[in-house]
Amino acid sequence: MAAGGMTAEHVYKSFGREQILSDISLSVVLMKCLCGFLRPDKGEIVVNGRRVGKDCDFPPSLGIIIETPGFIPTMSGYRNLKTLASLQGLIGRREILAVLERVGLRASMRKPVGKYSLGMRQRLGIAQAVMEDPAALILDEPFNGLDKETVEDMRGLLLGLRDRGKAILLASHNGEDIRELCDEAVHMEVRKG
Amino acid sequence: MDSLRQIRMAAMGNFGRWGRSPQVWLAFGLGFVACFLLSGKALDFAQQQGTLLQLFEPFIWTFGDANSILLISLCLLLLFADLPNLDNEVPLFLVRTTRARWMAGQLLYLVLATTLFVGFILASTCLLAGSQAYRANLWSDTAGILGYSGIGESIAIPAFVKVLELTFPYACAAHIFGLVLGYSLLLSALIFFFNLLGGRAGMAAGAVFSGYGFFLTPQVISGWFRLNSQQTRIANILFGWLSPLNHATYYMHNFGYDNLPRLEHSYAFFFGASLVVYLLAFWRVRGYSFNFTGTER
Repeated sequence: MAAGGMTAEHVYKSFGREQILSDISLSVVLMKCLCGFLRPDKGEIVVNGRRVGKDCDFPPSLGIIIETPGFIPTMSGYRNLKTLASLQGLIGRREILAVLERVGLRASMRKPVGKYSLGMRQRLGIAQAVMEDPAALILDEPFNGLDKETVEDMRGLLLGLRDRGKAILLASHNGEDIRELCDEAVHMEVRKG
Repeated sequence: MDSLRQIRMAAMGNFGRWGRSPQVWLAFGLGFVACFLLSGKALDFAQQQGTLLQLFEPFIWTFGDANSILLISLCLLLLFADLPNLDNEVPLFLVRTTRARWMAGQLLYLVLATTLFVGFILASTCLLAGSQAYRANLWSDTAGILGYSGIGESIAIPAFVKVLELTFPYACAAHIFGLVLGYSLLLSALIFFFNLLGGRAGMAAGAVFSGYGFFLTPQVISGWFRLNSQQTRIANILFGWLSPLNHATYYMHNFGYDNLPRLEHSYAFFFGASLVVYLLAFWRVRGYSFNFTGTER
């Protein structure tokens, strides 16, 4: 599989006797391998020119949403993003405020994340994924829990990033997402037997 | 600078969960209850005798004993049972750091949390002594009665004459704190490392480690095998070297006239053994699969 700056060649992953039961878990396992969270048993994964697990532990310049993004519930949305941003020190307050504005959370950025709705948390997840202007994005069902209007807005955000040359790997069960956002689509299914 | 910040944040992320973790509250709560029950003997004895105690004596008489150390260390099984923390905020942290820095953060957390827990135990026993205690660096009349009359031994309080004559309360409490901390650090490192190996093997490893220490106690062995006094003396020395729990027990050391390990031997043992487990944890994390919890929809 090759998509933008990401390639996965002959990747094989097993969990002992545990089977990967559905196509949902299949895409999550692949995404976790691409992110470097799981080490494949065989094959090679290259993201942004670096071999994951060999040249780097986790791909450099990568934004992710894997399953439900988690935040510290007692901290505000702004504080959560600031904490994550301080890990690498690539961006400051101005960039964080800009991304909160872009995802429509500027007004509620001082509210504890524990009081956010599912949709607000998902928007905060998108904000943390894109805030450091990464070269590649791995997004698993990024529009989960969002209303129709916000989905349109977030699609616009991702299309803008795509037009700026970012590699985006998106997993979605929504055909409309695939049609509107993707240059290439791969259908994954579990082989029976 | 980035690496130090990331290590510190990986460690602090674990402390951030303390407020909402019933397991942590339970571990500290049980620790306090254990202190209350275990130090009760010394406090009751002082009350009966109408004598005072030095502030650290309840800690010294309680945790100078192997069984008390064993009991209190079981609270660490509870405190560290669910390590490493892989809640759904962790992947967002990981993609901004490296496996080695994340691991260094976990180990820093282990050291800090263990030190805090043992410090809490020390503070609890001081607090429980309350108005019965004074701060001067002198053994109390209670200690004198317990040590010289032999009553201490008969009521299972390790107030030995050699302890009273060779040291002062502050130094003695500092050594007991150091030994209990060394033992606890090794235990917490083992729990963490075996949890990394898979499932919740850390709990089993912690229980085996504690059981190994318990069964190599001279009293247990001589009771089982009905050893005579000469054999008991040899067993005492042998198990003083072989058992981590005996390394953590203050009076099971050489103060100049027997062949038990010296205090510095025990410190070196705990430091070396913990270091080996930490290095194994760094080796293990290179191929570790992160299975996050709380991420399922």
